[in-house]
Amino acid sequence: MLTQKVFLRKTKRGNILKIVREHYLREDIGCGSVACGRCDSESTRPLQKDFESASKVVEHAHYIVPDTNIVLHQIDVLKDEAFRNVIVPQTVIQELRHRHAPAYNSIREMLAIEERHFYCFVNEHHKDTYVERLPGESANDRNDRAIRRVVGYLQSHLAEQGLSIEVVLLTNDRECLNSAKKEGLTAFSLKEYVGGMGKPELLDKISIDADGSSEGDPVTNKKKFMYPEHLTPIALQAGIKSGRLRSGKFMASRDNYLEGFVCLGDNEDESDRVLIQGLMNLNRAVQDDTVVVEILPESEWVCPSSVVLEDEPEEDDKVDEEDDDGDEVEREKKVEKALKESKTEKGVEKMPTGKIVGILKRKWRPYCGILAPSAIKEATKHLFVAAERKIPKIRIETRQAAALTGKRIVVAIDSWPRHSRYPLGHYVRTLGDIGDRKVENQVLLLEHDIPHQPFSQAVLNCLPKMPWLITPLDESKRQDFRSVPTCSVDPPGCTDIDDALHARSLPNGNFEIGVHIADVSHFIRPHTALDREAATRGTTVYLVDQRIDMIPDLLSSNLCSLISDVDRFAFSAVFEMTEDAKVVGAKYCKSIIRSKNSFTYAEAQARIDDKARKDEVTEGLRVLNSLAKKMKLKRMENGALNLASSEVRFQVDSETHDPIDVKTKELLEVNSMVEEFMLLANKSVAEFIYNELSHCALLRRHPVPPVGNFDPLVRAAATRGFDIQVDCGKHLADSLDRASIDTDPFFNTMLRMVATRCMSQAIYFCSGTIAKEDFLHYGLALPFYTHFTSPIRRYSDLIVHRLLAVAIGADATYPELLDKVRVQNLCNNLNYRHKMAQYAGRASVTLYTQIYFRDKNVLEDGYILFVRENALQVLLPKYGMECTLYVKDKPGGQQRIKVPFTYDAEKCTQTAGDVTLRQFERITVRVSLDRTNIQHQKLVVELVRPHIPGFSVDIEKPMEVDEPRNDGEPEKKKTRAV
Amino acid sequence: MSGHQYLSEEGFRVDGRRAQEMRKLDCSLGVFAQADGSAYVKEGNTVVLAAVYGPHEVRGGRVKALHDRAVVNCQFSAATFSTAERKRRPRGDTKSVEMTLHLQQTFETAILTKLYPRCQIDIFVEVLQADGSILSVAINAATMALVDAGIGLRDYVCACSAGVFNDAALLDLNNLEESQKGTGLTVAILPKTERIVLVDMSSKIHSDHVSKTIEAAIEGCKDIHATFDAKIKERVGRLAALINTEN
Amino acid sequence: MSADIDVRLFSSRSRSKSLADESEFMGTRAKIVVSPGTTITTDGGFMRGHGTYLEDENGLLSAVAGVVEKVNKLITVRPLKTRYNPEVGDVVVGRIVQVCQKLWKVDVGGRLYAALHLHSVNLPGGELRRKSIEDELLMSQYLIDGDLVSAEVQNVGVDGAVSLHTRNLKYGKLGQGSLVQVSPSLVKRCKTHFHNLPNGVHLVIGLNGFLWITHEGEAESSHFAQNLERVDYHTRESICRTRNVIISLSRYNIMLYDTTILYAYEISTDYSIAQLLKPEIQMEVAHLTRQKLQLEG
Repeated sequence: MLTQKVFLRKTKRGNILKIVREHYLREDIGCGSVACGRCDSESTRPLQKDFESASKVVEHAHYIVPDTNIVLHQIDVLKDEAFRNVIVPQTVIQELRHRHAPAYNSIREMLAIEERHFYCFVNEHHKDTYVERLPGESANDRNDRAIRRVVGYLQSHLAEQGLSIEVVLLTNDRECLNSAKKEGLTAFSLKEYVGGMGKPELLDKISIDADGSSEGDPVTNKKKFMYPEHLTPIALQAGIKSGRLRSGKFMASRDNYLEGFVCLGDNEDESDRVLIQGLMNLNRAVQDDTVVVEILPESEWVCPSSVVLEDEPEEDDKVDEEDDDGDEVEREKKVEKALKESKTEKGVEKMPTGKIVGILKRKWRPYCGILAPSAIKEATKHLFVAAERKIPKIRIETRQAAALTGKRIVVAIDSWPRHSRYPLGHYVRTLGDIGDRKVENQVLLLEHDIPHQPFSQAVLNCLPKMPWLITPLDESKRQDFRSVPTCSVDPPGCTDIDDALHARSLPNGNFEIGVHIADVSHFIRPHTALDREAATRGTTVYLVDQRIDMIPDLLSSNLCSLISDVDRFAFSAVFEMTEDAKVVGAKYCKSIIRSKNSFTYAEAQARIDDKARKDEVTEGLRVLNSLAKKMKLKRMENGALNLASSEVRFQVDSETHDPIDVKTKELLEVNSMVEEFMLLANKSVAEFIYNELSHCALLRRHPVPPVGNFDPLVRAAATRGFDIQVDCGKHLADSLDRASIDTDPFFNTMLRMVATRCMSQAIYFCSGTIAKEDFLHYGLALPFYTHFTSPIRRYSDLIVHRLLAVAIGADATYPELLDKVRVQNLCNNLNYRHKMAQYAGRASVTLYTQIYFRDKNVLEDGYILFVRENALQVLLPKYGMECTLYVKDKPGGQQRIKVPFTYDAEKCTQTAGDVTLRQFERITVRVSLDRTNIQHQKLVVELVRPHIPGFSVDIEKPMEVDEPRNDGEPEKKKTRAV
Repeated sequence: MSGHQYLSEEGFRVDGRRAQEMRKLDCSLGVFAQADGSAYVKEGNTVVLAAVYGPHEVRGGRVKALHDRAVVNCQFSAATFSTAERKRRPRGDTKSVEMTLHLQQTFETAILTKLYPRCQIDIFVEVLQADGSILSVAINAATMALVDAGIGLRDYVCACSAGVFNDAALLDLNNLEESQKGTGLTVAILPKTERIVLVDMSSKIHSDHVSKTIEAAIEGCKDIHATFDAKIKERVGRLAALINTEN
Repeated sequence: MSADIDVRLFSSRSRSKSLADESEFMGTRAKIVVSPGTTITTDGGFMRGHGTYLEDENGLLSAVAGVVEKVNKLITVRPLKTRYNPEVGDVVVGRIVQVCQKLWKVDVGGRLYAALHLHSVNLPGGELRRKSIEDELLMSQYLIDGDLVSAEVQNVGVDGAVSLHTRNLKYGKLGQGSLVQVSPSLVKRCKTHFHNLPNGVHLVIGLNGFLWITHEGEAESSHFAQNLERVDYHTRESICRTRNVIISLSRYNIMLYDTTILYAYEISTDYSIAQLLKPEIQMEVAHLTRQKLQLEG
């Protein structure tokens, strides 16, 4: 049977099109129940026949049909094991797909799990359940009618066969419930149904509706606090089209909860941002939302503040049953006023400022954090504080407050109505105790969106069977380098060896240099579960005590890893170089190698220095070393930048896994040697694959930072009388080299650290998507660059391997490899994963540092990295960490600092009395851990030397070490010993 | 995440068909009184009218006539109202010219031109409603018109379009599916011997999928052939009975 | 002349259901219906006629959709509709399309134009005149583009080229009258194709589907000079009626020969001439004619 779907659509140009589509109605769609004898025998039947009713509200066994809003908003409730034999109509699934991708994915997962007995009923194409839209009926009403029709049809279909299985409709919509009852269908609201299930924790998971109350009850709360209304979607679209409003991504400020930015362009660079200040202007936007902003007239533009402000709960913060946010309004207004009056950093001009008038798309996800319980004992409404600073507090309703204090929990936001100061959400699950290392690690991984589950069976099935042997077929396709003296140089304890090198003299006086990289693309084939998992993970994540692998252990530590004394597959780049390190030839091939030694850096260095050793491998190392030095000089001449960054390494107690000591990583000559050859391989491969596959090569670029980025660097150097030129990379490198003080060797290093902060991010991209001039890697001063040398721990390298294999004819292509849109999407994902992995790594270091300082306080050397209006950023080189030393109190907060400081923005100094603290000055500080805020424990430094009376710490007196209070009461602020 | 799901997990396409199902097919013969043969073919919402004139004397001078064969002249035109947005030119734009050439090459092979030396056969195809697969429906309509005109053919020429989505072959694409990055191809065959007369593809399909798609399209063509054949035989049987054959 | 305007929607016309019933009455012999590409026989002993072609591996295949006819060893397939296939001795009516050197090109509704050679024509002034150059120049004075002639097929060439002749007094240029074009398959082969119907109507049934209806006076007069005498009203009406009747019959696939046209004419007298153009009336006339044919054998 055939009907038509006719509707009108407006094109971009404004024309109205009449779209006519066929709509076939079928007779072969089954009801999905095993018990049914009438439906087509070919159809799938996941629904059970004999089972118990899940809820006491319905006597017999029954199938559940939820409506769209239930699935959309209450997905966490449906995920519970108690919900089985659920029929999801096609109408619901289609709506989900359009509105909320995560809920759609969840439903699809549940449909796939056999034990849950979920069935997707294709009601739109079923002869008896297709519902046409009546004239004047809204789309929502039509969908509701369709779902009710499904229930009605299935009920009579089963009843006709004499089966006693009922079909029950679940909906929270009042009208739908009433209509259903009128039509004689069994229907319940979710709360009624769940109430009869005998699982109180499920009731908690029921989320609150958009108007701030569950189940559509009329709102009785006092509305003292009101955010401005959001504009309707039509008004927003009209505004954007006319140019009056702009849309962009909202980025909350980490340090200041009253401030945020909206990035109008695609990149997150500084040039296209609008400042938003004040709660009313922020108007309920949450980090990463796509918002619509109205830019205020120029007279109202302000500067971004340099003040650090946290939304900390005050002692007298009462959180009632009734949402009495009135007091908060007053407090907030005071803070905002002080914010506006605070002086800003010199040189920072007024920015375009605006206010948010609507949200286009919410980007809410489940957040980790802790519960800040209400002062009232029997209260059910509590505030949840997220671990991520940029997320506001969330109000949730739970009966288990007592059980949840002191634990890390996961909460999801449901809505943010106008009258609520905070967004409303619901509890999802518990992770474990606060402070427990494993739980904190878990939080870290969740917050940084790092997939860390063990590899699924589907992925493990893709691994090769052991024992793995090299067949003659393999040998015929590869070059045999097993007799060549290759060796690898890696950090101690490294199990995933990516690369091996060799060097030999050629008869014509040149050298043959081989860079052999683990041939991961041989084991990971496209379109397998293993490949998909690796693509999602994107990179191996290195935490202090843990390594989240991108690929399973069998490959990363065994079959792919170039371990010594075993035959391994490799992808080799063989270069011919003259004595002056000039590359005269490059060849790429798949090969088999047998590494002779797996050195650590120290061992390799020792071998080079040991004059007695004259074997092949050592000679090769020496050749590599001397060539590397020449190559480095050449690179520096070309304008490559050499910036410092502090990498630290923790020595961990083997039993408790708590950190014992901290060491900064040292750099030996051999580190540089390996680095040079990796760079050479990367850049040669980049050029080669670009020439062969110019439209889809995966390359890496480092965009030139805008000149404004370098302002902090230029000012910092100017305070000591050095002039840094920032017009091009070469000049920057040279002027950085010149800016050094003999008496203070650390000054230059610090300057380089500041320079690192000014850089933009290096990113992966697909060569077909941008112009050739933009391929430049600024930091390395290379026109082409990519990542090729670490496929075990980076997915981008694996793709480059595949591209190179196609280019040399050693492997077949597949469509996604050559599709530049797909490659660019992959690059975007990899960039995101890479960034998250970096943040996670740093957060792990921070976590460990905090654990290390838990019961200590130490005197350390520190260097002032930045001078701000109210604080100093102090770098502790031993730990590679930065801390904030406040010199002024927070506006509106307690006044604790008694000594007045004067800030000079031009000279970057803070003066108190006759002591001046300058940028890059070395000071001595006492370091301890401030554990008052459980989630955001921070390192606190107090000034010891130079001694400022009334401010600096007197080291004679012992310090109180405060323990955090465990009874869940909000803490009193720790007083500082003076 | 909007955008149509061309093949849902349950195996249904946007309009409710399964992957290998074709649209509703309907055809009428002899609709155009003044032409020697005419056919009106409707496949789903795609409607094509074909008219055949000939064989007749070659127009335009004796120079163009071939001494041993007939000249096949095609014209493909799509009405301005056939698409959702009104078209400017019914014929003469690149697409129509290309279709014309396809038709010409196809039917020069299929028609037994040796039977009609120094003659000309005109085939006019007009698309009245375009909802995807217009080339294949045009070929089908032209075939039926030729059969109606009693012109000697080697065999029917049946055409069908197919595409690939998520590694599954979809048969008989409609406009929505065709406009999805154009991953479709049209195949025309002589059904009896399953020899391919025309393959038209204006997109990129990975080589792994090509053979699968062509096979699926050939199956579709065979289905179309069965429908058309039954229709023709029924019509001939009915009308021949009325005409006294003793002549 | 009273204006009798009748306006109706095309979609409201009734479908003719009578056709289905008729087939049973027509004495269905076992007919084999084939379509293009169907194998007729793989036996190599047969000769191939129209509508078939030979393919090495598969034997004899049909090239059109139609009914198989076996005459001894000759197999042909007759399609439903086809252009006129001339055979030697056919009486045809044709229109001059071109005057060439020594011949006229005549459109007889076939695949190619037929050729009417100068020497095949009876020129005014007797038969055995010697052909001279003046005759050629004067060709166009006798027959010019657009004229209608009745002729007989003299010769059909291998490539299908047809030549006609009018070497008979009954053939020649046609004067006043009305031309009706029907499908050639509807014209039955008879002994004579020139009929005189009652009511003073003279009918020439061309085997190519061109029928010429004229007044009786035409038949007797010579074909050389144009007879421009005014035809009287009554005869005109008869001619009109005959024409409409023929169209009705052809619409319903009834064979055309004198008997059928006569019967139909008689039946049609119940209606006015204008009414005969309406589809229902046409169906009625055809239906009744068919019945009458069956009754009378």
